Amino acid sequence: MTSVIEVAHLTKRFGDLAAIDDVSFRVEENAITGLLGRNGAGKTTLMQLLTGQQFATSGTIDVFGANPVENADVLQNVCFIKESQKYPDEFRPKHVFRSAPWFFPHWDAEFAEQLVEDFRVPANRPIKKLSRGQVSSVGVIVGLASRAPLTFFDEPYLGLDAVARQIFYDRLLQDYAEHPRTILLSTHLIDEVANLLEHVLVIDDGRVVIDEEADVLRGSATTIAGTRAAVAAFSEGREVLHAETIGGLSSVTLEALSPSDRADAAAAGLELAPVSLQQLIIRKTTLTAPATESEMEHSA
Amino acid sequence: MTTTALTPPSIAQAPSRVLAVLRLHFASRYILIGAPWAIMAIIFVVNLAVWAIIFASVSSPTDRAEVTAGLQWSGASLYLFVWMSIVAVQSIMVSFPFALGYGVTRRDYYLGTSLTYVLLSVGYATVLTLLAGIEQATDGWGLGGQMFNAVYFAGDTLVERFFVFLALLLFFYFSGALGATVYLRWKQPGLLAAFAALGVLIVGLCALVTISQSWQRVFEFATSVGTGGLVALLLIPTAIAALTGYGALRRATPKN
Repeated sequence: MTSVIEVAHLTKRFGDLAAIDDVSFRVEENAITGLLGRNGAGKTTLMQLLTGQQFATSGTIDVFGANPVENADVLQNVCFIKESQKYPDEFRPKHVFRSAPWFFPHWDAEFAEQLVEDFRVPANRPIKKLSRGQVSSVGVIVGLASRAPLTFFDEPYLGLDAVARQIFYDRLLQDYAEHPRTILLSTHLIDEVANLLEHVLVIDDGRVVIDEEADVLRGSATTIAGTRAAVAAFSEGREVLHAETIGGLSSVTLEALSPSDRADAAAAGLELAPVSLQQLIIRKTTLTAPATESEMEHSA
Repeated sequence: MTTTALTPPSIAQAPSRVLAVLRLHFASRYILIGAPWAIMAIIFVVNLAVWAIIFASVSSPTDRAEVTAGLQWSGASLYLFVWMSIVAVQSIMVSFPFALGYGVTRRDYYLGTSLTYVLLSVGYATVLTLLAGIEQATDGWGLGGQMFNAVYFAGDTLVERFFVFLALLLFFYFSGALGATVYLRWKQPGLLAAFAALGVLIVGLCALVTISQSWQRVFEFATSVGTGGLVALLLIPTAIAALTGYGALRRATPKN
């Protein structure tokens, strides 16, 4: 596999604040990567750095093998759709869809038209008068129909309803299958996109805390549930990501279990359940090791 | 490293991004073309009415000539130039982050935007010159009115007038653009500092001329170079504004 993005020791400071703090990672070609993290974790800053909109304080960024900053050869293959995108004041959606092909050589007008229908965007109404969700739809349509070899979606669906979000996921997956390209999607709605993602980058406090294949990540933890005594006995000596107790029952989330571990757990009368990507990420980004222990004491 | 050998898949060479930015500015023509001419038309109609009233109530030829002479101080078309500065500020504030999202470099954005302003200036100057010509040929629209031959745009020939309009328009566009790019780069404190510096510079120059008692020489110089010379001189601050604007924009970042 080849990587489209290669980042090494990237740091971006705003005054004293390190918005991105010594980050290194790669993004593989023709894959959908989820860029996940909490508000203010640095997702937008990272995407702006990758698209040459922000200037790195230190470190290197390679996009298509070169620094993206002021690099037309690189940037003409890049489309960046951001949250609450602003449009020129007097623009209507039709102006957006008319001008996009001037910038994106792979623009598919037919596909764009189809999407306008799917999302029910009023193409002829001033953008200022559209609802939040409709404005978001305009951005999503540009991001999809541009077919840029490298597309960034930064929280693209502010205000989009569940139906529209599902249309977005469906069209994205469908079009991606026919026209493979590299997509970076940042979002809060982790479980909704869990099935789209092939790779997951979790960023917290300016650092990459998880950089893993989505499948590996999904199998990297298991929740076991059963009586307090049985759960406590089984989880002893293992790394506990999360624990909760209700009455005489408790459940803990553990690091990956081997097949023989799983057999042992089943034999001990414990129930095994997969952990959702969202739960896993919440647990890995909010719990530090000491907190885990105190929580264990508390619940044990 | 695998990336170094990587060429992006099936790249169709995009047409010039500079031209794309130019087209983007013209994608909706309301602010750049529609609104200014609509306002101009309204002002013109109101002026026509005023001239007609004067024309109807003043009948002696000498009085009429006096009125016409007074009307050359009309500021009716001056708003257009200020409008252009504001248009430049507005369009850059919104279209810059927008264009960056479309993968445009700052350089291409600025070149395309500058080209837009040059084209607009040429277009506006041409139409204004034509209107001035008609105004002259029809003796002030048959009413002795003056709107496009105001004294600020003096010039003996229509060609000279064209260049006066052109230079003024360019100046207002690029000074507006400079304000916008300074704001994008250094935000409000930067803009305030820039205005303060400009104020100090102007006051300083005035003080210099006053203290050295050379206002007389300044006026003599202005008279000697004539309209053409002054217009040419106006191109210097315009060029400085254009280059400084590019310098500021080169490291500007869109707001989060």
